[in-house]
Amino acid sequence: MSPVLQGIITIVVGVGGCVGYFYFANLFLDKVLFPAKGTNAGRNINRANMIRPWVFLFPAIFALGLYLMYPVVGSFFRSMYDRAGTEFVGAGNYVRLFNNPDFRQAFLNNILWALVVPAVTTFMGLLIAQLTDRLKWGNIAKSIIFMPMAISFVGASLIWKFVYAQDPDLGIINAIATSFGADPVDPLQIPFWNNFLLMVILIWIQTGFSMVILSAALRGVPEETIEAAIIDGANPFQVFFKIKVPQIIGTIVVVWTTITILVLKVFDIVYTMTGGNYGTEILPSFMMDFMFRDDGQATAVAFVIMLVVLPVMIWNIVQARKEMR
Amino acid sequence: MKKIYLASAAALALSASGALADGHIAHIFPVGEGDFNWDSYTAYADAFDLSGQELTITGPWTGADAELVNSVLDYFESATGATVQYSGSDNFEQDIVIATQAGSAPNIAVFPQPGLMTDLASRGALTPLAPETADWIRANYAAGDSWVSLGTAVGADGTEGLYGFFYKVDLKSLVWYSPEAFDEAGYDIPETMEDLLALNDQIVADGATPWCIGLGSGGATGWPATDWVEDIMLRTQSPEVYDAWVSNEIPFNAPEVINAIETFGVFARNGDYVNGGVEAVSATDFRESPLGLFTFPAECYMHRQASFIPTFFPEDADADFFYFPAFEGEDLGSPVLGAGTLFGITQDSEAAQAFMAFLQTEISHEVWMAQSGFLTPHSGVNSELFASDTLRQMNDILLGATTFRFDASDLMPSEIGQGIFWSGMVDYVGGEDAASVAGRIQDRWAEIQ
Repeated sequence: MSPVLQGIITIVVGVGGCVGYFYFANLFLDKVLFPAKGTNAGRNINRANMIRPWVFLFPAIFALGLYLMYPVVGSFFRSMYDRAGTEFVGAGNYVRLFNNPDFRQAFLNNILWALVVPAVTTFMGLLIAQLTDRLKWGNIAKSIIFMPMAISFVGASLIWKFVYAQDPDLGIINAIATSFGADPVDPLQIPFWNNFLLMVILIWIQTGFSMVILSAALRGVPEETIEAAIIDGANPFQVFFKIKVPQIIGTIVVVWTTITILVLKVFDIVYTMTGGNYGTEILPSFMMDFMFRDDGQATAVAFVIMLVVLPVMIWNIVQARKEMR
Repeated sequence: MKKIYLASAAALALSASGALADGHIAHIFPVGEGDFNWDSYTAYADAFDLSGQELTITGPWTGADAELVNSVLDYFESATGATVQYSGSDNFEQDIVIATQAGSAPNIAVFPQPGLMTDLASRGALTPLAPETADWIRANYAAGDSWVSLGTAVGADGTEGLYGFFYKVDLKSLVWYSPEAFDEAGYDIPETMEDLLALNDQIVADGATPWCIGLGSGGATGWPATDWVEDIMLRTQSPEVYDAWVSNEIPFNAPEVINAIETFGVFARNGDYVNGGVEAVSATDFRESPLGLFTFPAECYMHRQASFIPTFFPEDADADFFYFPAFEGEDLGSPVLGAGTLFGITQDSEAAQAFMAFLQTEISHEVWMAQSGFLTPHSGVNSELFASDTLRQMNDILLGATTFRFDASDLMPSEIGQGIFWSGMVDYVGGEDAASVAGRIQDRWAEIQ
């Protein structure tokens, strides 16, 4: 069958199926199960209205269960089996993980990422949003800072690979270093500090995001409060830290947590830049080490990542809800 | 609206079938011309008729290599009337595992190493080859037994069988150089490892750098170093010790292995010996690393890499190779390290079985070897057909080896051979002690047994 025909049939069946489901489920509820006539008409209408939302919600709940809950529960069980998935080993995979120095390194690096990147990104975003707010060319500056958002992580990594290149003809760091007479080094091989060089890439990408959100929040701060502060003799720093920041603290937290979640998932940058070598391993790239080889270990790492992300996620949702109120 | 859809769908269907019905495949070498074994082609064409059948193949070859494999598949199509879909992937190792687990495997998979193949065979994802295949390999391949044993695996039912058919072999024990640069500096090709080590020092004394070594390969960074270690293992230990190492009968941190790693360190951890200094070794991409041979003045004089590497040389590069020599003092003959791709059946069908028979025809080897980058242990092919003298000489090294051993890292469990062995070598070049790197690799290996 031609792929075009296949596509068309899929769309027709899919859309038709959805419409059909809602139409016929409704019909069944009103005409067969609880008909709105006869002696119990009133009671039936009430009952039908009580059930209707659940009938309509069912496809969504079912899909969520199938694509969200089932994989989580399934992964948890999977992480308690051995590499081939045949033998039950209980917490064995987790014990092995925490005894593995590479895992501990990845875990610590990830914590470092989760502490540094959101903090720097949010701070830079806030700073730029405030500084460019009243400038004539502020919007141009903002557009330029926002631009890296449009680049994929792998693309951004490739750009920075040139920045960090050991060849002084390519890498700007070594170009500067050698112009002062120093020997070229490979910055990505300097233990510990290379982690920060990788974080710079994510900060470069994400600052635009935090700037845009925080800039909108800053503009939402009521003018009267600022005017009142100025009349009372507050200097610009006091206006910023004591008037503006407290009023947008909710947004700052949402930006912060959103970036934290992103950081805990980031994989592409480490994979393209160092492949996890030279002590830059983080949890997702460590998981990649086991993927397709030792499914038990890999799912165990995946589960650890999920457990770490979960509290941040809940915190994020709580904050976002507060914001909406 | 509906009419338009139907009409365009019908038109598409027509044009698609029209293209296939045409059936006129432009062969790269016209059938019947040249010194090819055309008899093997016609005999095969007479024996098999697969008109209307489809065959899907997945493999690691992309780009230029994909064109080459398609040029071979053309002959299978025209001989049998079947249509072949070849798709190459840079992430073949992962894709094939996902495809077999998802039940969407192609008919045939081309494995770049036996490790993955034996893994999939043990999970029941492969169909054993026809029973007479093993005998055919023994009779027609040079050192046939070793190819049979490399293609043999234990299936899901616990019985041993032949699952992989070797086709296209790579030779690894080669050192590439620019004859021009060697002539100008007055260097001779080293016949023994002792000569090679002396040459290193001579080049340094002349104020130049002997080696270009690059271990960079994205997520696979480090693999070229494993080839070095394996080549040195074969030159410092008997083949039996090599086999024991591969199967972990001797631990990875045995003194024999540590010695091989440290011998590699003699080359790679000496800033005078490597282009760009020690740090550049793991930072340089293996595809870019040989370029230093062809600069003027030469950034380096030698590059140890497998037979595939000329693909990455500059277009007009004048390059030659010599055999990575053995120690005269060790008396281990002339060992050769190699690798190769094997075909396995991941989704059985009549066409898949017929295709495995096609790989046994001389013509299926000759079409590729007459183009580029193809070596074969098939003794029935016409070696006059090799595209260049270089390739013919390589095939001679392959056929004349006193010991042939398969790339050890490809035979080890993938977690070791395609994981910690790679990253461990990066750590070693970065300054970590050989014994502690080897110890870590052994620990991981002990865990998975």
